Amino acid sequence: MSDNQTLEMPLTSPIRTEDLTKVYRLPRGRVKKALNSLNIDVPDAAIFGFLGPNGAGKTTTIKILLDFLRPTSGRAILFGKPTDDYKVRNLIGYLPEQPYFHPFLKPLELLSAHAALAGMDPTQAESAAMAALEKVGMVEYAQIPIRKLSKGLTQLIGIAQALVGHPRLLILDEPTSGLDPIGRRRIRDLLVQLRNEGCTIFLSSHLLSEVENLCDVVAVIKNGSVVTCGTPDQIRSANTYLKVYTGPITSEDRNRLQFLSLHIDQQAGHTIFKTELKNAYELFRAMEQLNLQIARVETERESLEEAFLRLAA
Amino acid sequence: MKPIWTIAKLSLLENSRKQIFHVLCLMTFAVIAGSTLLSIFTEGVKIKILKDLCLSCILFAGAMLSIGLGSTAIPNDVENRTIYPILARPIARWQYILGKFLGTVLTVAIGIAALSAVFGVLIYCYQGRFDTFLPVAAAFAILEAAVIAAVATTLATFTTAAVAAMISFMVYLLGTVKIGYLAKLLERTPNPIAKLGSQAVYHMLPNLECFNLKAALVHSDSVPGVYLALVTFYGLCYAAFAVGAAALIFKRKEI
Repeated sequence: MSDNQTLEMPLTSPIRTEDLTKVYRLPRGRVKKALNSLNIDVPDAAIFGFLGPNGAGKTTTIKILLDFLRPTSGRAILFGKPTDDYKVRNLIGYLPEQPYFHPFLKPLELLSAHAALAGMDPTQAESAAMAALEKVGMVEYAQIPIRKLSKGLTQLIGIAQALVGHPRLLILDEPTSGLDPIGRRRIRDLLVQLRNEGCTIFLSSHLLSEVENLCDVVAVIKNGSVVTCGTPDQIRSANTYLKVYTGPITSEDRNRLQFLSLHIDQQAGHTIFKTELKNAYELFRAMEQLNLQIARVETERESLEEAFLRLAA
Repeated sequence: MKPIWTIAKLSLLENSRKQIFHVLCLMTFAVIAGSTLLSIFTEGVKIKILKDLCLSCILFAGAMLSIGLGSTAIPNDVENRTIYPILARPIARWQYILGKFLGTVLTVAIGIAALSAVFGVLIYCYQGRFDTFLPVAAAFAILEAAVIAAVATTLATFTTAAVAAMISFMVYLLGTVKIGYLAKLLERTPNPIAKLGSQAVYHMLPNLECFNLKAALVHSDSVPGVYLALVTFYGLCYAAFAVGAAALIFKRKEI
């Protein structure tokens, strides 16, 4: 067994960043602050959603975690070790966004090579590769060159590649990108299973419904700093919305109701008024004055997508 | 060693799919076609010219392959993003660099070995016996290619593939004329600062001429074992130094 494989099981946080800052030097003396004192602490055996708009610093964070980039100040710690300790990466599986692999390789060859890079001997490597392919349902494609596989199947190969070597931490950048609903479901189930087996999953995704259903903890970042971090329930806040369905309304009535910061929508012959629950009294009073017939009333909790738009837009 | 070998193997497989073997085939045909024109010479001269032609072709092909593959190996991995899943594995950056370098050298060595085999048969056809010194000369052509590949790999860690290829080619040209032309140029430089600068460049450039055993092959001269050992030592040290520099530069590089 190699040095890499004899690393002790970690007791510390899989990922912790302390005031992580990254400044890119651009041409003509300009600078861009990609990360600004980013602090995150990823709990063990949890699915951690890492959200943020484009350019918020998600990829930069991942690249620093994997030592592709160096922080300008602050530090990132993986399982209690600095990111430049390459041996710690024996505990990590990584799926880059839109993964690209040597197109001439067959999935089994690619995964065996990655298993060898993880320190396994050839026989171990091949069985580890097959096991990873089995987990993502790709055994039947094991001997087909990657260049002949579709984007979705290549994505599954990428996920299998990340799973090689039973990592304790999976860093996945848009793992379900390009997958059909069946593939997405399979990967969702797989991630839950891995989490239940004690693996920590660091998930960067733009599919907020997926993050909402899957993640135990979510951090939203904006301009390189954490805006909020907590369970999806905590992030969605206590904001509950009221949805009132009426018949069609005139534009005059619509204007009169604007003072409540309403979201007014037309759908299947109904007009739908959406506002925060605290505005219910004013809304019903205004509707009574305008003599609007109420067809249905619903309450709706803020979705993660709405929370994300509120926090990160 | 395992990760280094795995990266070298991947690099070898990748290189073998590039169109380098087309270049080798072209050169082989050029030499074979050229050899048919030798009939105007007398028997002894004909064989000498053929050997000269063959080894020149081997040395040139080795250098061009080393420059082409060495200068593109790392930039291509970064550009195609194949480097990320590899460096996310528990491997040190120097292991990656060494693996890529070995992959390049292995590919070039296979190419040179194939060329040497074809030319060996060609010389046999003309001479009526195998030239036992050809494999030795080919081995030193591989060593020269390794030195050039090391230079190209080092340059590719901090410049683009095109710039690395261009500078490597210049190093190859200067390295092959170093002993003769550069030494004379150095003697004639009157300005002491220019002389110092030229001396620095002179000592940094690889002396590629020492790997060229063409004269010995053509004239069937014997080469002292000590000379061969010293040249081998020099080549290995130079390549090790260049790859070490590449590893140091790449260790600090952000990708």
